[in-house]
Amino acid sequence: MLEAQGIRKTYGGVVALAGVDFAVRPGTVQALVGENGAGKSTLVKVLVGAVTPDAGALRLDGAELRLTNTLGAIGKGIAVVSQELSLFPDLDVLSNMFPMREPRRGPWVLRRAMAERARPVLDELGLDVALDEPVEGLSLEQRQLLEIGRALVADPRVLILDEPTSALHASETERLHGVLRTLRQRDVAVVYVSHHLEDVLALCDEVTVMRDGRVVVPATAAGSLSVDRVVHHMLGEKAAAMVEEGAHSGAPVTRGSGPSLRLENVTVHGELDDVTLEVPAGVIVGVAGVAGSGYRTLLAAAAGATRLDAGRIVLPDGAELTGGQRGAITQGVALVSGDRRRFGVMLDKAVWENVGQVRSVALRRDGALVRAGRLRSRAEEHVGRLGIRTPSVDQEVGMLSGGNQQKVVFAKWLEAEPTVLLLDDPTRGIDIGAKAEIYTLLRALSEQGTVQVVASPDARELAAICDEVVVFYGGRICAQLRGEQLDAHTILEVMNTGVVPGGAAPPPRPVHGGAVRTHEPPGGAQ
Amino acid sequence: MHETIPPQESAPEGRSVPAGTSPRGGPGRARTAGRVLVRQDYLGVLVATVVLVLVIGAFDTRFFQFGQLMNILSQSSYIGILACGMAFLLAMRELDLSVGSVYALTALTCALLADQGLNPWVSGLLAIGVGGLLGLFNAVLIQFFGLPSIVATLATLAMYRGLALALSNGTQVLGPPIDDPFSTILGGSVWGVPTTGIVLIVVCAVLTVVLRSTPFGYRVRSIGSNPEAAQFSGIPVARVRMQAMVLSGALGGLAGVLTIGYFGSSDPNLGTGYELLAIAAAVIGGTSLRGGKASVVGAALGSILLGVVASGLAYFNVPINWNQFATGAVILAAVSLDSAVRRRRQGARAGNGVRL
Ligand SMILES: Nc1ncnc2c1ncn2[C@@H]1O[C@H](COP(=O)(O)OP(=O)(O)OP(=O)(O)O)[C@@H](O)[C@H]1O
Ligand SMILES: [Mg+2]
Repeated sequence: MLEAQGIRKTYGGVVALAGVDFAVRPGTVQALVGENGAGKSTLVKVLVGAVTPDAGALRLDGAELRLTNTLGAIGKGIAVVSQELSLFPDLDVLSNMFPMREPRRGPWVLRRAMAERARPVLDELGLDVALDEPVEGLSLEQRQLLEIGRALVADPRVLILDEPTSALHASETERLHGVLRTLRQRDVAVVYVSHHLEDVLALCDEVTVMRDGRVVVPATAAGSLSVDRVVHHMLGEKAAAMVEEGAHSGAPVTRGSGPSLRLENVTVHGELDDVTLEVPAGVIVGVAGVAGSGYRTLLAAAAGATRLDAGRIVLPDGAELTGGQRGAITQGVALVSGDRRRFGVMLDKAVWENVGQVRSVALRRDGALVRAGRLRSRAEEHVGRLGIRTPSVDQEVGMLSGGNQQKVVFAKWLEAEPTVLLLDDPTRGIDIGAKAEIYTLLRALSEQGTVQVVASPDARELAAICDEVVVFYGGRICAQLRGEQLDAHTILEVMNTGVVPGGAAPPPRPVHGGAVRTHEPPGGAQ
Repeated sequence: MHETIPPQESAPEGRSVPAGTSPRGGPGRARTAGRVLVRQDYLGVLVATVVLVLVIGAFDTRFFQFGQLMNILSQSSYIGILACGMAFLLAMRELDLSVGSVYALTALTCALLADQGLNPWVSGLLAIGVGGLLGLFNAVLIQFFGLPSIVATLATLAMYRGLALALSNGTQVLGPPIDDPFSTILGGSVWGVPTTGIVLIVVCAVLTVVLRSTPFGYRVRSIGSNPEAAQFSGIPVARVRMQAMVLSGALGGLAGVLTIGYFGSSDPNLGTGYELLAIAAAVIGGTSLRGGKASVVGAALGSILLGVVASGLAYFNVPINWNQFATGAVILAAVSLDSAVRRRRQGARAGNGVRL
């Protein structure tokens, strides 16, 4: 029913969409996949009127549709969950559910009526927050769910989701998929953009693949595709050197010798309870848990962003972590966050300025003058190495696609040459090919002696890249999974139950009752 | 005889390109000087100033006299120096509303110290130091009471002015004698260029290098661009803010000392309203209120444009009581033209501003 024909869009010299035809049908979940920078988000923006195409037309039920803004789209029953969240941080949850279209009587906004409509939608998604909580205090995950709820509450006929699950855990993803299946039965047309290809194939009826601003595979039945086929179409000639599975080094995790990051009896009231953990250099250690289990607090603590109530953290060089966040960074700790827009990039600055931000600006490692020429050539190296798709290092980061912005965040931390690399959902929004390259890079850095701790909402990712996964439950470590035990299924099970199936290794820790949900991203606001 | 310049101002057009970034993203190096100029944020105000001078001069060629132009430069220098500091603060999303009062209080300090028989040069240095301390006090208020800078400096705007009134008993205080080298040098000129103007140019040059090429300048702009990300990148936000406030205070002190050198006395009402003119000058010069970028040269040019408008009005026989109104109108014209140009450029390059 919603159709796009011959859509073209160029930005300066960059062709984002080179004549795209696209159609969504009622009762169908259609996947839209492609590399970072392929043009998916741009197409989505065109479909909802956020971007005016240079050429081409939209049709709704056969009639030409002219959209000038997203509000117009909502009026036509087209709702969107955008890749870069667009919530109002100062407003509370409820006000964010009905931007510009609150139910009213005369001049009064009917909060009661709003709440009655909003609550069931949020419950369905499993977002358990008070309606009057300010959005600022929500974690990325919760904000993501809220953004989805906001689209659902509009009761759309066409629902477009741009990487809606990039910050979600498996259980929330499952719930969302359940919701989408119900919508399909109600004859809603759904477009689903994602880099999680397994999810895509499991959920969607049809798959459309984009590459370099074109549709290379138009709406094809998902049943006839495999992940490999899709990847092949996405990358084209760039033959897929997929790593994904089996990236562990197989190195045994040995402790007690060599440099390591040590957390000794670390307590953060209500979040971490007397946690002791050693992360040796040379291996990649994952941390996992449900929200509020403490695994993100651990990252925040190690990054100096959370004050410890007891215990201490010792860095690989033997020095104790001091001086808060800046202290940690000067001591060689890096926290790569998936919440790039908030903690990562300067959208209005060139790629090279972002890349040099930690090393040359914050740490002043290059002396008393910042030499732009040098930073440019360093940035060019990173652009090449990480495959950042940009016309030049002078491009403003805000003009890059989401995945490419995330790579810039990576680059700026790699540039600082950290000895401890804390990764909080570091590959959020990065496409499958580039992820593989980043995993290879992480492995290489690890072998050169960098301590690495990875958190990811995706248990499969953890299982694939980590040598050991430490699972948190109620503020304590409940299991350290390695070898045989290290698979996504087990991680999920331990996360949710706090017990290792088969009762094998882990010392059964008492469940700590006082754990509080942490809404803060690691290193939250402070 | 003090400040004769009711600033006024205005300026058309601003085709500024975000500093240091080319939307087209050319290969970057080896640009000609001309291209560099075209990309500057202050191009708009530069063109506006030149055009305005030409127009007024066409109307009355006396305006072109070197002495007349230098006079404008000299009179614009005080606000210009304040505006340079303001540009740094705006670039990091802060404001200093107390600069006008700092200016008055430091001028008074300089005059009082010299009056006590202290060497005028030493008095001047001390006065600049006092300016820095006043800035530090602003920073301390912001830091320890968690006040937004606009609120903290709104309070000190009144406090510092009050101090100036109280310490001087509300009267003028004479500075060093007119024949003292302090007065002849600071109030004099080199090859016809007034010392105050030279100081403004030197301040501009130094601060441009600081803003564009030192870690401090990058930090300031980083913070304005995304404060949370700056903190997460290890930039000591509070320290940078303190440094910038001290800079602003010290520049206020410098302007105060120059005033004593030039006019020979301080008046407790000196510089009333200069904080807003300094902000206007910085904004006209291409500094964004949203933070993230600034142009020191633009700020100085902005103040010169204000000066040109002020003295130009005299040539157009605008009745004196309409001066303020005309100044406001010119500021409005300048800033809205600039913003229209910017919006067109933004629109041309994308749905970038659109969320989604
Ligand atoms: N506002 C803009 N200005 C300039 N170029 C842009 C802008 N928005 C997008 N582009 C460019 O258009 C191309 C397509 O971007 P788009 O965001 O649609 O990619 P995407 O497929 O959504 O990628 P990702 O998976 O990383 O989100 C990219 O090369 C990007 O750099
Ligand atoms: Mg995208």
